[in-house]
Amino acid sequence: MSHDHGIVVPAPGAGFLPHTVAHHFDSPTQEFQSAKLGFWLFLATEILLFGGLFAAYFFFHQVYPETFRLGGQQLSWKLGALNTTVLLISSWTMAMGVRSAQTSQKRKLLIYCGLTLLGAAIFMVVKIIEYKAKFDHGFLPVFGGTDYDQATHQLSWFKDYHNVMVGVQNPSLFFSIYFTMTAIHGVHVLVGAGLIIWIMVGAAKGRFHANYFLPVDLVGLYWHLVDLIWIFLFPLLYLVP
Amino acid sequence: MSSHDSHDTHKAHGHDQQNHGPHHVTSSATFLKILIVLLILTAITVITSRFDFGSANLLIAMLIAAVKATLVISIFMHLRWDTPINKIAFLCSFLFLSLLFLFTLADQATRSMDGANERTRAPVDKEWQHPSTLEKPQ
Repeated sequence: MSHDHGIVVPAPGAGFLPHTVAHHFDSPTQEFQSAKLGFWLFLATEILLFGGLFAAYFFFHQVYPETFRLGGQQLSWKLGALNTTVLLISSWTMAMGVRSAQTSQKRKLLIYCGLTLLGAAIFMVVKIIEYKAKFDHGFLPVFGGTDYDQATHQLSWFKDYHNVMVGVQNPSLFFSIYFTMTAIHGVHVLVGAGLIIWIMVGAAKGRFHANYFLPVDLVGLYWHLVDLIWIFLFPLLYLVP
Repeated sequence: MSSHDSHDTHKAHGHDQQNHGPHHVTSSATFLKILIVLLILTAITVITSRFDFGSANLLIAMLIAAVKATLVISIFMHLRWDTPINKIAFLCSFLFLSLLFLFTLADQATRSMDGANERTRAPVDKEWQHPSTLEKPQ
């Protein structure tokens, strides 16, 4: 067992770099499967993180259905549908990117990663436009504190300048949930975008090819998870039944 | 050990093993078909939300989302061709999630049974009060 310096996985051709297996692994497959299992476990914790928020959503939706219906109507379902489409297409470009890495197509890998990055950028720009509109309504739970006003039954951060949420109970609740869930999701989009840039830097150097595409595979899984969460967020927040 | 290693090395060059195993390469046509189905299902989600099916609206939306999620997980994320241990690791999260939902909803559904938890329910026949302003029970 002379694996002190790790097994070297050869590059498939010119323009690609060989991959050195980390020294504590016996084989490239062991390295690949260990990383994959670890990453799937991480994704499981992500599901549980968002799962708790979804449980909160279902609980309060059941208690205050009118609040959630009126709150959902304050969001633009058109922008929500646009972002859903953008994320689905970016998920497809990411899947094609992983495929390009698996088949040693460096140029295609860079193009598909670039397109996925573009999708992330469009998503965040639309998200900022939506947040700005909510900010103008006084729905952003950032400024104003959490003091409770007995006369209006409102928390002090909840301004509702245009009085569109009058007549329902606990109107701030919907926007608390909306901002918590979409902001945590948005952070995941930004992290995903950063990881895709990292993949593109490695891809440009020729690190990823048919013999070694593990990082591309894992970043792809992460990006699909971001899409997966949004698939549930969109109907629940924008099309509130 | 050497035979195991040679097997591993062969798998690392999994390009020629396109039909199964951890390095499954899905065809571009399959990916495109899945994308189109996902977009159609999104349109169906929006369209069905325009109609009032009562409490069935939430169920319909979640069922369509579940179908979309299944497609993303099995095809885009390759879980369909992944190893059994990875399938178990990931899909177990949904098992535990269903436990969280089950007990949360069971709690909620049984709250109005004894009337002892009035404070946590949305009152229908009296003016609403924020829970923090209500008197503490003796």
